[in-house]
Amino acid sequence: MPAADTPLPPPASASASAGVFARRPTPARRTEQVAFWFFRAVTYTVLACGFFVFATIFWRGSEAVFQAQFPFVNFDFLTQAPETLHVFQHEGAERRLGDAEFRVFRENNDLQGVRVESYVYSAGGIFPNIVGTLLLVVGSMSIALLLGVAAAIYLSEYSSHSRFIETIRLSILNLAGVPSIVFGLFGFGLFVLFAPVFGEVAAPNAPSLRLWPLDLYLNFTGWNVSLLAGWFTLAFMVLPVVITASEESLRSVPKGFREGSLALGATKWQSIRTNVLPYAMPGILTSSILGIARVAGETAPIMFTAAYVVRDKLPWQGLDHWYDIFFQGVMALPYHIYVVSSKIPQNEYTERVQYGAAFVFLFLVALVALASVLLRNKLRSSYRW
Amino acid sequence: MPEPRKPSNVSFLRNRARFRLLGLTVDDMIRLFFGGNAVVSVVVLGLITIFLFKEGHSFFGDNRRNLETYRRAGLEYVDYMRQQERDHTALIRWLSDVRVRQLRELTEVQGMDLAAANAALAPFDDFAGSFSDTVEDLRGLVSDLTDVASATKTQFLVNEDKRVQKQQLLAEGLTEQAEQVQIDPVDFVAAAEVLTGTLPYYRELAAAFEEALRAVVAEIPAAVAPGQQPRLDRFTQLVADYIAGFPAVEQRLSTWDPNIPVGFGEAITAFVFGRQWLTASFWQDWYGIVPLFTGSLLVAFIALVIAVPMGVCSAIYINQIARPAEQRIVKPCIEFISAIPSVVLGFFGIAVLGQTLRALSQFESLAWIPGFPFSERLNALTAGCLLALIATPTIFTLAEDAINNVPRAFKEASLALGATRLQTIVRIVMPASLSGVISAVLLGLGRVIGETMVVLLCAGNRIQIPDFTKGLAIVTEPVHTMTGIVAQEMGEVVRGSIHYRALFCVGIVLFFLSLLINYVAQKVVRRYKLPGS
Repeated sequence: MPAADTPLPPPASASASAGVFARRPTPARRTEQVAFWFFRAVTYTVLACGFFVFATIFWRGSEAVFQAQFPFVNFDFLTQAPETLHVFQHEGAERRLGDAEFRVFRENNDLQGVRVESYVYSAGGIFPNIVGTLLLVVGSMSIALLLGVAAAIYLSEYSSHSRFIETIRLSILNLAGVPSIVFGLFGFGLFVLFAPVFGEVAAPNAPSLRLWPLDLYLNFTGWNVSLLAGWFTLAFMVLPVVITASEESLRSVPKGFREGSLALGATKWQSIRTNVLPYAMPGILTSSILGIARVAGETAPIMFTAAYVVRDKLPWQGLDHWYDIFFQGVMALPYHIYVVSSKIPQNEYTERVQYGAAFVFLFLVALVALASVLLRNKLRSSYRW
Repeated sequence: MPEPRKPSNVSFLRNRARFRLLGLTVDDMIRLFFGGNAVVSVVVLGLITIFLFKEGHSFFGDNRRNLETYRRAGLEYVDYMRQQERDHTALIRWLSDVRVRQLRELTEVQGMDLAAANAALAPFDDFAGSFSDTVEDLRGLVSDLTDVASATKTQFLVNEDKRVQKQQLLAEGLTEQAEQVQIDPVDFVAAAEVLTGTLPYYRELAAAFEEALRAVVAEIPAAVAPGQQPRLDRFTQLVADYIAGFPAVEQRLSTWDPNIPVGFGEAITAFVFGRQWLTASFWQDWYGIVPLFTGSLLVAFIALVIAVPMGVCSAIYINQIARPAEQRIVKPCIEFISAIPSVVLGFFGIAVLGQTLRALSQFESLAWIPGFPFSERLNALTAGCLLALIATPTIFTLAEDAINNVPRAFKEASLALGATRLQTIVRIVMPASLSGVISAVLLGLGRVIGETMVVLLCAGNRIQIPDFTKGLAIVTEPVHTMTGIVAQEMGEVVRGSIHYRALFCVGIVLFFLSLLINYVAQKVVRRYKLPGS
């Protein structure tokens, strides 16, 4: 029985002279104790399961990312692109070489009759994947924040009760429950296959619109599998999270702040800009961090809208125009983890990239989530009105 | 008396002439801008619906044509006979199962050595051999007819391709080349006549088959291992039932007509109630959602069975029992679990949990658990356990909120009347927060049904309706789910094909399922709202 429980008298042992208020061991109390220990056990089992997953990934993954010698972090893993791993016996020793090294080695040595086993993606590192994930997150969060904060401002500052507002709230609520794979399908149907692209000639097999009087056409040919399609798909997916959380933080700014400003003659927008937004901003940022954790963690929506299994160039390499960066697919960490855990066997040669990628990804996401938890705790204590 | 003061300059009261564009002030425009962004959520919801339907709606038309080809080319006719053959194969499987059980009983219970046990089973083997021989003629006929029907179908499909090619050529203006594409019409009537022409032969064959079956079964040897006699008796009963089904098959074959059109309703029922999801088959593709739907439900059920007690119990503990300091630490920790990305959990399932569970199931002391031991590393249980880990924080957070919203007075009144804390929790706090807890469970269900990566990686991906006759052992079967199939097959299908459209239809089902779950959850909360909260 936990002793520090305010609404109850202290336990019998603490005050033997409490007389009639002393706790007597009754069957009811014993049942209660058993029940409470059961609840406690369940709670800590949940914690233990979660901790076990974290610990396994961190422990096994840290072997790929950290090393015993200076500089202790395996920078190769973080800065190189994935490669095929070749494993073979040579002169009595087992050799594990990445594709590039292996070619050089084969030039210089005679590998006739040597059995070489190959494992895709298992050598090198995961740099392009990290870059791709960051690009996806930054872009989609910018879009989601722009749309989401504006929508939240409308809902909390301008809207009054009406059927229209009810509809909006209802759709936000429902949008939050739509499975991410459905967002993937939707993004595929809308952005990959149908979104408009500017062109100088009309598209032959797709609807197109002439921008009169310019000599330019809007061709509804879609953006293909691209960064842009991924951004919008992910942005729409987190939109409900951002709207709900931002609205909450806007509403928590006291009414008096707005009224004081309005009474001094400021316009509605002026009072929002100067007296509401600055105080709501930290809360909005927290919400956006929550959104980031969700965006970064999702795989299903980008599977067929933005992610490539392999792309040998980094996003900014080999572009014809600067804007081509938006219309190309990227490699992304979550998709890479999916590929390396389902498409290659589980063995000692492949587990470096499997656990390593999972570790880096989990580390990034946990960092973001931790930041949001800490920020929220700090904010709760900083603003009191 | 002072003169009444003249009104001084009151310009600060006057509205300045404001900048207007199309009758809107700047403030109006700002308001409209924000309002427009709020509308985005409605627009997105609408767009999702539109685009799912845009890509998915013509599936039913395609499926109708698909089924029509199936019927007109006579595949349906052959499948009637094939079903008869399959049922016979199922009986053979029953026999070999009985043999395995007898052998086990002989060697393990009675302590015979293997050679002696096999010798004792020799009469049984003879019987099993002659039983499986009875079907040979039917099998031959089915195989011949299969060739006929699939040839017709292939020719038809080739023609369709040519027709499309011709249209494309014509559209490009290449009339000459288009004319060179020869299309030989398929004579469905003649093809069907070939099939139906075998009916008299089939009747003879079926009669002989029936006779042979009866003769063989009449001489069924008694079970060598006494414990297995009931199974053999059951077998004779099954064979009798099987034979009793022959007239129905004959009836279906004789009334079969390739020219009955396939209705639109039939195309819809084939999807909604279809028991097979079979793609890229040489014979016939089936797009039935039932195996995927049951798979999703099974996995979700396993996850909820684990997650609901865990989530609700820990919510009760944290909110009602734990000390404040404990509460401050444990609560964020549980919420933190939900930050684990599902793909990482899926990988954990493949690399660790699946192995561990399988190894655990091999222990003889755990053999009493239904479904243990199992050999498939990835199955519904593995996926269900991981999904439970995803659902628990969701259920926990929402349920904790609901419990927290119970007015303090309720609890205090109960305690003041002398109830113990447990009594207060069970009789007062839980009933008062029940609606919130139920909606938490529903939203957890929504989360689990919609989860993709864990089921894709860990559920085993076998497209089959789980075998419900196994009882609780069903949890260790590999399954496939609706979300999993979309994620797995979407990347590989031909855009615009019937398979592609079928996947969008699965997406539509998922979309409306999640809307339904959400709607019910909201309804529950609103319906059972506490007075005054």
